[in-house]
Amino acid sequence: MEATQSYIKVKTTNEAMQQINSLQNAIFVAGGTDVFVNKQQGNIEAGYLIDVSGIEDLMTCRLYDDRIEIGAMFTLEKIIQSETINTHFPTLVQAALAVATPVIRKTATIGGNVLCENRCFYYNQSEWWREAVGHCLKCNGDICLATGGRKNCFSKFVSDTAPVLIAYGATAILIDADGERCVPLESIYTGDGIVSVTLNKKTLLKSIEIPLSTKKVIFKKLRPRKTLDFTSLTTAVSLDNKMNLRMVIGGVDPKPIVVEGNLKKEDLLQLVTTAIKKPRVVENDFYSRTYRKDMIKVFIENSLNELGIQIN
Amino acid sequence: MRKISLKINNKPYTFLANDSETLSHVIRERAGLTGTKVGCSQGSCGACTVIADGEPVLSCITPAFRFDNAEIQTIEGLSNQGTPELLQELFVRKGAIQCGFCTPGMVLTAKDFVNKNPNATKQDIKEALSGNLCRCTGYKKIIEAVTEYTELHKQGVEHLPPVEESSKIIGVSRPYIEAEKKVLGKALYADDLQFRNLLYCKFLRSTHAHALIEDIDISEAQKMEGVAYVAVGKELPEKFGVLPVSHDETAMAIEKTRYFGEIVAAVAAESFEIAEAACKKIKVKYKPLKTYFSIEESIHDVGDNAKIHEHCKFNNNIHKKAELRFGNQEEGFNNSDIISEMEFDVEGVSHAFTEPHSATAYWDENGLTIHTATQVPHYLHRALAKVMQVPLSRVRVIKPYVGGGFGGKSDPFPHEMIISHIARKTGRPVRSTFTREEVFLSNHGRHPSKFKMKMGADSNGMLKVLDADVAIDGGAYGSFGVVTSYYNGVLLQAPYEIKDFGFRTYRVYTNKPQCGAMRGHGAVNTRFAAETLIDDIAHRLNIDPCEMRLKNFYKENVITIGQFRITSNGSRMALQQVMERSGWKDKRANLPAGRGIGVGCGFFISGSALPIIWNEYPQTVVHLKLDFDGRILISSGASDIGQGSDTMLAMVVAETMGVDMQKVFVLAADTLLTPVDLGSYSSRVTFMCGNAAKQAAEKLKSEILEAVAKRKAIAIEELYIENSRVRSNDKQVDLEWLEAVDMATAHRGALTVSGNYISPKLGGDFKGAGAGLSPSYSFGACIAEVNVDKQTGQVELLHVWGAHDCGKALNPLAVEGQLEGSWHMGIGQAVSEEMKYFNGLLLNNNFCDYKIPTTLDTPEIDTNIIESGDPEGPFGAKECGEGALHPVIPAIANAIFNACGVRITKLPIKADEVLSQIKANMQVKAEAIN
Repeated sequence: MEATQSYIKVKTTNEAMQQINSLQNAIFVAGGTDVFVNKQQGNIEAGYLIDVSGIEDLMTCRLYDDRIEIGAMFTLEKIIQSETINTHFPTLVQAALAVATPVIRKTATIGGNVLCENRCFYYNQSEWWREAVGHCLKCNGDICLATGGRKNCFSKFVSDTAPVLIAYGATAILIDADGERCVPLESIYTGDGIVSVTLNKKTLLKSIEIPLSTKKVIFKKLRPRKTLDFTSLTTAVSLDNKMNLRMVIGGVDPKPIVVEGNLKKEDLLQLVTTAIKKPRVVENDFYSRTYRKDMIKVFIENSLNELGIQIN
Repeated sequence: MRKISLKINNKPYTFLANDSETLSHVIRERAGLTGTKVGCSQGSCGACTVIADGEPVLSCITPAFRFDNAEIQTIEGLSNQGTPELLQELFVRKGAIQCGFCTPGMVLTAKDFVNKNPNATKQDIKEALSGNLCRCTGYKKIIEAVTEYTELHKQGVEHLPPVEESSKIIGVSRPYIEAEKKVLGKALYADDLQFRNLLYCKFLRSTHAHALIEDIDISEAQKMEGVAYVAVGKELPEKFGVLPVSHDETAMAIEKTRYFGEIVAAVAAESFEIAEAACKKIKVKYKPLKTYFSIEESIHDVGDNAKIHEHCKFNNNIHKKAELRFGNQEEGFNNSDIISEMEFDVEGVSHAFTEPHSATAYWDENGLTIHTATQVPHYLHRALAKVMQVPLSRVRVIKPYVGGGFGGKSDPFPHEMIISHIARKTGRPVRSTFTREEVFLSNHGRHPSKFKMKMGADSNGMLKVLDADVAIDGGAYGSFGVVTSYYNGVLLQAPYEIKDFGFRTYRVYTNKPQCGAMRGHGAVNTRFAAETLIDDIAHRLNIDPCEMRLKNFYKENVITIGQFRITSNGSRMALQQVMERSGWKDKRANLPAGRGIGVGCGFFISGSALPIIWNEYPQTVVHLKLDFDGRILISSGASDIGQGSDTMLAMVVAETMGVDMQKVFVLAADTLLTPVDLGSYSSRVTFMCGNAAKQAAEKLKSEILEAVAKRKAIAIEELYIENSRVRSNDKQVDLEWLEAVDMATAHRGALTVSGNYISPKLGGDFKGAGAGLSPSYSFGACIAEVNVDKQTGQVELLHVWGAHDCGKALNPLAVEGQLEGSWHMGIGQAVSEEMKYFNGLLLNNNFCDYKIPTTLDTPEIDTNIIESGDPEGPFGAKECGEGALHPVIPAIANAIFNACGVRITKLPIKADEVLSQIKANMQVKAEAIN
């Protein structure tokens, strides 16, 4: 179907699904603080933007006996203000506060943040720039420019909230033509910088669910300025009362790196070493590759300390 | 297109708009409310903030249709019937407005925040404003205004009490005369001006760094509906450049391109969108040439390859070499007890003014008129006459309000030539407005530099000798580069007395956007180095680095080794002031490990004594006209770019005349109506235009007094003007202003007088003696305190204390603003700003990746004005807008050394580097223990 409009605001989930299934080459857009920029720069070729930020059903945050459900269109500002979230998931509030700037957070949503398009110096550029540099892998070129010619795309996963959500054990509720399903949040990330999530374009992220627990999560973010900047490294490390450790690392790989284990059964040092080694860090950031690698170690070790875990 | 309905500032609007249109576009272009500014088009700078359905929104990235049927409030809707509301009054009163371009977004964001968070603390306010970038103020006065607003708002105060007009004008703080216009969103910047039948121009930019243009096919672009004209390089063959020795640029590339982003063709169309689409239809065939991206690549013989410019003297890409030597450096080093020598590597930085370049040109019976965001209407006037091949009398350059410059709008620019040309070809007004990416591509910023510096002193810490070997990366064209080359050396000959002094600098062409003049021109990078070497010597001699500096300062009224005439000199006072304010001695002795405090000093010109284009015309002329209405019209070519020169002129004239500020009116920077001023560069305007205005006012005053004396048959010496009244010492004469004006204008009409400024003959007679000559010099000092995290290498800047000798603060509020802005810009270069290139392509051409410090990254700043009273400056004043930048960078670097023993030789200072040096130092220590 050919729509007369290329920007379509929808009010309900049903309407959103109808639109996406009836249009060729359409995508969902939430707060759009990144998508609109990418669209203006020609990084998004979609002909239609279906704006789901006005779906009221997705703007709620509900507390259940065993979990909390945060609607995908819940803004980061609302997360910061939510008493429930401050009480049960204070680290998520820290992560939300670390995203962009206060004004952007009023528009940016949790759904948009966890699905934020991966970034790279060689990709987040104007059409002219990308033509001049000779397109990289992520914009239909042949090689990765950040690595000087590798055949994989290493664009950075930059969500700050996702690592924390994963550390808390969050799941994503997805809607597509077949109905609703619930998956662990980390499972939606592919690790491929070009197509960084498993969701197809016709899938809508409805909400994020986080199980209530006594888990403590430590969040850290590396960036040159205290605001505005996308992450150079984000870590979220959690420990529950059964000594299950979960280390989630963002900003240094095309996907959030998750390393986990039970400290009663597994060697802590081994887990930490794995966490430090696993991310495929490349030169596509304000900070050098080696520095960011060094900082993974520092951040993880400091987080463990804050959780009361002694290394060595 | 479809229908969109908006209620903007309570007024309903319905437009036809495109789905892709942004809210800012609809507000500005369709509703005509230009108070909403667009600074980055990516939601990174906050200038476009408006309130939509009660919440602040970044209108430059938001599709207008998201807010179909919504209520929008823009800056124009904030005031009540044109009366500023309390927060706006505070912005004005506190001096929180300089160029004013960030102001509307800043005000709306702040007001929304405080109204929703009435108990906000200062830290909350900093956080709330952290998405609104300001390049002028260093945020200090903005935070002050908003903090005070929070207090007053809580108390239910609606308006500030009016300020009682003081009869004293000079030395009394006052807001800029146009501050209210800016805070209301009424000040018109280049892109705000409205013209009928306007064409919009976009440029096709080179996708090659260095390539021959073999063919350009514009036929498809020409055929597009809505395209009025397509221009290519050969239509504008005349070369231009700001310096007569560097006319090396054409409006568009003709035979070859020399950097990524150079303009190859231009399209004027009925909208920017059409013009942009048409640009994509132009086919260019390039033949790539060998590229040169670094100083190292450019100094070598090119062999059979093409040089970047054929006019380079040798078979390499060296643009300019400059070398001056005084005394005997070899002997100096031989006689030194201690020598410090280091190599430095400094990245280029951008002015990053918030207003992108914009201009509109048209032709009529008077020839060409261009309204453009420029700091140099006069040089543009000349360049346009040359390139358009018309007499000087057929060009008129008008500067509207300008959203910051810092040297980045001080060259004639290709886009100004191109739109003038297309306007002539089409008979229609033509506009160009840059994207933020284009601003970065045009560059003209501070040169990336690599250099060695060596300094020698005796065992008491008395400096003996300095040698510097400096290479600067100029990019593809000359700009101010020849001057920059000299400044990197000559401005090191003070504030310390160094007898054996010399340097060699060379500037290379590379295939990158050109570098030029930027705040603190030429001397910032080498000053950082010199102050670092002094710190090293002091450390090794175990002398307090402040005390060592105090011992070495030149005194007042001296001639330096390179024949600079130093008159007033507040270097000692400045340094002593920051030592005292910071608690230097105590901190130095007692700060814990990881904390550090460091010092740096500075030295800068207060106006170049020599004009760029050598002639006998004065450096500036100011006209005054007094007519029957009693108002004094000040006309001056001076370009107010947010630094406050209009206000300065008004204050100087009012003070000199003895009248109140309501009786003066400033007409500035219109090359048809105002006499020549060379422009806002080299920190010359207060000194030179201030002097010319003062001279003119004195003439006008004596003409009035002569007329009164004659009419009242009293000796002129008995008369004076005070509080806008003409009085005699015996009080027999006591005339109201208009009575005196009637007498003065009787039988002759309006009085017109002229003042000018011509710099005294200065300097030596050797080649290169003219570089850095100034009728006066400014001095300053900064102390910075930092905390260094030894685990991460992250440097937290805790506090900056700064003092600057401006001779006399004509308007202390404005001087503080200049100092705070300078320090803020220096902090940016020190800790986070750099232009990062990948094979000649700028990687970080936006405000997200180019890291200007935000409110949260700017430390507490303690501002101190030092008044040494310059003998030749107007009322004793000299510069304050650039020199203050110099000391802050080395102060931070030296503080880091003090904190953790890491010597900084690279800018920006990165945690990467600090950490690796911390580790290296620990290694050395460990080995020493073993």
